[in-house]
Amino acid sequence: MIQIEGVGKSFGQTKVLDGVDLRVAPGEVVSILGASGSGKSTLIRCINGLEKLDKGRISIDGFRVDDPKQLQQARRRSGTVFQLFHLYPHMTALQNITLAPIEVLKVPKREAEDAARELLASVGLSGRADAYPAQLSGGQRQRVGICRALAMKPRYLLLDEVTSALDPEMTAEVLDILAKLAAAGTTMLFVTHEIDFARQISSRVVFLEQGRLLADLPTADFFAADGGLAHPRIAQFLSKMKKDH
Amino acid sequence: MRYTEFTVHDILLLLQGAGVSVALFAATTAIGLMIGLAWAVLRYYRTPVLAPCFAAVAELLKNSPVLVQLFLVFFGLPVLLETDVTPVQAAVVTLSGNTAAFIYVIAVSAIESTGREQIETARVFGLSRWQILRRIVAPQAAAFGLGPLTGLLVNQLQVTSLISVIGVMDLTKVGAILNLRTLKPFIVWTVVGLLYYLMAKLIATTCARLESRLRVHSQWKGL
Repeated sequence: MIQIEGVGKSFGQTKVLDGVDLRVAPGEVVSILGASGSGKSTLIRCINGLEKLDKGRISIDGFRVDDPKQLQQARRRSGTVFQLFHLYPHMTALQNITLAPIEVLKVPKREAEDAARELLASVGLSGRADAYPAQLSGGQRQRVGICRALAMKPRYLLLDEVTSALDPEMTAEVLDILAKLAAAGTTMLFVTHEIDFARQISSRVVFLEQGRLLADLPTADFFAADGGLAHPRIAQFLSKMKKDH
Repeated sequence: MRYTEFTVHDILLLLQGAGVSVALFAATTAIGLMIGLAWAVLRYYRTPVLAPCFAAVAELLKNSPVLVQLFLVFFGLPVLLETDVTPVQAAVVTLSGNTAAFIYVIAVSAIESTGREQIETARVFGLSRWQILRRIVAPQAAAFGLGPLTGLLVNQLQVTSLISVIGVMDLTKVGAILNLRTLKPFIVWTVVGLLYYLMAKLIATTCARLESRLRVHSQWKGL
């Protein structure tokens, strides 16, 4: 269980997160929607311990992210996939995936590489194990990014706008993989602008606006006229997103 | 009577001088690399007291003439410590310190060139600061720093010629002796200059080769 309680975070005068409460139970797929600058990415960065919390607390399976002594344990439980991939450019796809298992989990090299090759095959990249990130397309890079997160066998997958830097075709290839993961019961916290896809795979949808949670509803309720759409701001946002597509 | 002709022996003398220059260069580069990199690592860990101290030392060393440093070590230290300092000892100490200061500067900027997002990513995946330095920062910093390092090393090779003034029998000192004897400065200094050029070229070529190996990952091979 990821438990987020009353989290507040400001950068200077700007309140980015303002009293956010959220729980993600194992097996759930929770989508976070919201305009750019609404605090979605910051929330992810708070969960994986990259930002210090000004207020509130976050724990993952009981391990406090805001306690430096428990942070490492908390981080072991989640895997993050980044919007701009953030692959290590000097390492091959295979090395990108095996680095953390070898260094952090102390998995023997051969074992880690075998597992990485299996992961690469599962995302259709069996032939690209020895390619450097610069030699891969955006979609391929993000698929490697997903493999890298999965290689740590996380209980929770944090996805931060993982398709925002990709064209529609590459977006489709990445979403395809996420749909498979969701179907396999992977717990995901999914920051996205892909509304239709969120609707399709999420069990719950939350909506962030200026650092506050405007809605936290089961997917069907969120998109129902008397549910999330009853909220004017959410209705406005969704219709705007539809127009743009 | 002055013997002004060149002899076969002069070639050996020149090579011997070149050997002394190369040996000093190699030794002081090795020592300078170790010290400079150690300082940079202390800075990476933001070690209190030590890191700012070494930064100040590096600042002093790189902003004062090597020749002045050399005189300070060769003439000043013996007075201060009441011991003898041989010319070779003074040369090794001075050049190592000077090289270390510049390598520190290069290493710091190379370390800082690694994208913050990569370090954050590695942290999220649970890597320790040392693991991040070793696996993420160092390989990229090496590729980044090798260009400036090449320039520095070629320059430091030339700087070794300064030690001839305190009597170390390096290539320049041999040149000076041959020049005095033969009174053919144009030939002597041309040969000496060419020998320095060859050594510098060797350093630059070796570094360039190493650099292209470290940059394999950014060479586009096509999809």
